[in-house]
Amino acid sequence: MKGTFRRLKIGVSGVRGVVGESLSPVLVADFAAAFGEFVGGGRVLVGRDTRSSGEMYENAVAAGLLSVGIQPVLTGILPTPSLQVAVRETSASGAIAITASHNGNEWNALKFIGADGLFLNQIANDELLDIYNQPDSNYVPENRIRTEKLMYDAFRIHQEKILRSVDTDAIRKKHFRVAVDCCNGVGALYSRKFLEAFGCEVISIFDTCGNGFERPPEPVPANLGALSECVKKHGCAVGFAQDPDGDRISLVSGSGAIPGVQNSAALIAGHLIRNNRSGTVVLNIQTTTAIEQIAGKYGVKVLYCPVGEVNVTDAMNASGAFLGIEGSSGGIIYPKISMCRDSYAAMAVVLEMLAQRGMTIDSMLETLPCLSSVSAKVLCPSAQAGVNALREIRSRYQERNPIVVDGVRIDMGGGAWVLLRRSNTEPVIRILAESSEEATAERLARSFEKELQGLLKK
Amino acid sequence: MRFLRLGNLGMRGVAGTGLTPHNVIAYASAVGTYLNGGRIAVGMDTRISSKMFRNAAVSGLLGCGAEVIDAGICPAPMLHHLVRRGELDGAILIGAGHHQAGWNAVAPLSSRGSYFSNLQTQELLGIYHSGIYRTVPWNAVGKIKPCPQGLVGSYLDLLCSLVDAEKIASRRFKVIADFCNGSGSTIAEAFAKRFGVEMVPINNILSGVLPHDPEPRPRTAMQVQSLIKVLNADIGFVFNSDMSRASVVTDSGETLSEEYSFPIVADHVLQRAGKGAGVVSNCCTTRTLDDIVRMRGGVLYKGKVGQAHTIDKMFETGSVLAGDGSGSIALARGVPGFDSFLLMALVLESMAFSGESSSQIAARLPRYYIIKRAVPCSSSHAYSILRSLRGRLFPDAEFSEEDGLRFDWEDGWVHLRASMTEPIVRMIVEWKGREKAEEHAAKVYSIIERVVAS
Repeated sequence: MKGTFRRLKIGVSGVRGVVGESLSPVLVADFAAAFGEFVGGGRVLVGRDTRSSGEMYENAVAAGLLSVGIQPVLTGILPTPSLQVAVRETSASGAIAITASHNGNEWNALKFIGADGLFLNQIANDELLDIYNQPDSNYVPENRIRTEKLMYDAFRIHQEKILRSVDTDAIRKKHFRVAVDCCNGVGALYSRKFLEAFGCEVISIFDTCGNGFERPPEPVPANLGALSECVKKHGCAVGFAQDPDGDRISLVSGSGAIPGVQNSAALIAGHLIRNNRSGTVVLNIQTTTAIEQIAGKYGVKVLYCPVGEVNVTDAMNASGAFLGIEGSSGGIIYPKISMCRDSYAAMAVVLEMLAQRGMTIDSMLETLPCLSSVSAKVLCPSAQAGVNALREIRSRYQERNPIVVDGVRIDMGGGAWVLLRRSNTEPVIRILAESSEEATAERLARSFEKELQGLLKK
Repeated sequence: MRFLRLGNLGMRGVAGTGLTPHNVIAYASAVGTYLNGGRIAVGMDTRISSKMFRNAAVSGLLGCGAEVIDAGICPAPMLHHLVRRGELDGAILIGAGHHQAGWNAVAPLSSRGSYFSNLQTQELLGIYHSGIYRTVPWNAVGKIKPCPQGLVGSYLDLLCSLVDAEKIASRRFKVIADFCNGSGSTIAEAFAKRFGVEMVPINNILSGVLPHDPEPRPRTAMQVQSLIKVLNADIGFVFNSDMSRASVVTDSGETLSEEYSFPIVADHVLQRAGKGAGVVSNCCTTRTLDDIVRMRGGVLYKGKVGQAHTIDKMFETGSVLAGDGSGSIALARGVPGFDSFLLMALVLESMAFSGESSSQIAARLPRYYIIKRAVPCSSSHAYSILRSLRGRLFPDAEFSEEDGLRFDWEDGWVHLRASMTEPIVRMIVEWKGREKAEEHAAKVYSIIERVVAS
């Protein structure tokens, strides 16, 4: 998978590249200038995660914004959801988050946030790229260059909003003992104090920053062994696992069980659906059907949408949904608090769930629909070959009425389904199969893997 | 008109039109590559665009794996000093100096603390134009470190080792200093305290807004001039925005040409340095300097125009003093760059030792009448036009072409040089006596104008 064309990714999730290779400070400054032109004036907030390259890119972003007459407001190391909240609360023109989210140390990225606190959607992103692609920029003369500002309290705005939005009194009475795995990310600065504000006794791990990530940054089960041990050792009610920029969440139960991002999302969604009992939830196409089943029980409508935070939030705005879930990545979007994937909102909701229901995470997990999922991936020689293969699959399974909002999702009967989708980040087609029986999920994944390989060989 | 210039004084240009964060990051990356990472200070003046270019330079340097020492708003001489004192690998100075509003410049300093020499500039630009810069993986990206404590104190210590502070303090001078809202005002108070002078600073707001044309000239000295008698001050100084140039206003209210700053200092320094001491200047500085160096038994070396050349030649020739007609001086034992704080201290020391007032010192100077004018000329042809004049013009004069064309006669001289930034030929004419000077200036101007038109 070598080759620079794969090492720089300019797409709907921003600009992502490798430090010292494809993501040069010059490119970052030019993109920041393009974004400044895109928003047209005013203030743009700039936040970053704990990556060692963050300071370098922060300087480049500030320079780029200044050059087109924007006032940069530097928030320093800040969770991406806090940045999104701060944009709305301070009526800024937009924000740039300097973070490669769950990607490893060597990566970094710019993520562009509009005045509404949402990531740019495809249409807005195309406009931004069109500005960037032009060889010249509308630089302003010196007398229109503004002064850079610093903002120290962006997280406090976010935290106070969360404290107001959940049953904080009920949570504080319980004095929960909780563990949090900050992934050496933004959580290292904020998560302990945040949880303590809810009256929790907090045990934190991977809670330093500046020397890279001491565990792989995706909050998937394989990376959460230390958190599981910690929860068991200290007898915690729950363990929270964050990613480097604080948008994704995964849980560990009191017994140390690691249910994974899909089941964690299902637990949290289940609580909110039960409390709401009407309305709509939006799920991305890569989300467990457990949530659809719970929603059905409480008369809550389900809408599926393409993968990607902005796709979920766009669908939520259109439908007035009270909840959005990206099951595949552990993304909980709870607009009562924030219109973005927000691990802090999710942690507060979990604490509220524990306080209100008086059950352990382990016993709540038992009430979840028991579903197994298996994933696989098939290498794609080119983007177009992948598109062609998926079109072929779609016509082959036409009679099963596949959902095609993003890739091809085929209902295989008996609650089992398969999703085939081109990855946004790697040159592969991802296969996800889910069924109540593990063997069925496994069989489905393997058979579609083979079928795709056959198609791609042609 | 060129909006971006690359050369011995770094990368200069009009902010937005020529000088952009894109260019500055690339240039800083080339500097970081040339210095092979290392520890590099970044200092800036107060111009509105300086923070933007500072951010860009910092980003480029960090990307090369350099450790950045953040000197913040820092007068140029103090940055020269910081590099040497901190044993750094180099520095980047961001500031427009004498350039008009809207311009800015990004200039590299070498590990010696001085501007890059000609040779270093060539190598640096080789890297810049190749577009291939040093990069480091994520865990080797540079960090920003604060400026070491006590920098101002140690800089003033250095000045005090060169100039007799006690002697100056004993005179209790009252000094008006116009800092052009530049970086000099950050340490004005500390300077005044150390040298025991009563300083009245004006235009000392770090706003980046220019209160007047930033070149120290008689016409920019009017604010100081209007105060000097009212406040009964001993002397006034007009500085540019990064403290590399200065001109003097006397207690009688005379706004001295910036050309005389250097001769006044040379007169004082050479009296104490003894016979045979070297002084470096360039080929278009007033003859007042020649006369003074001769009078004091010194040896004058003339080189190309530009701080980098002048400072380099000072070290090469083992001279004690260097400077030029724009109001700049440096001592070999001082910081390795033009230093207007030192200039101020030396002028005050001269008054302290001689017991003369500033107007008495000015009255002693052998005076010439100097005329500086710009002849409009399309930039792309300026070089060839000047070349065509070689040998044809003024066959009776002594001729030199080290930098532009210089013609010398018994009691006057003419210098012609193509501007690198503007479509003009810069003409300097200096003669004994105003009438002669004006007569020659008019003659030369009409000749050049005719040649340009043809």
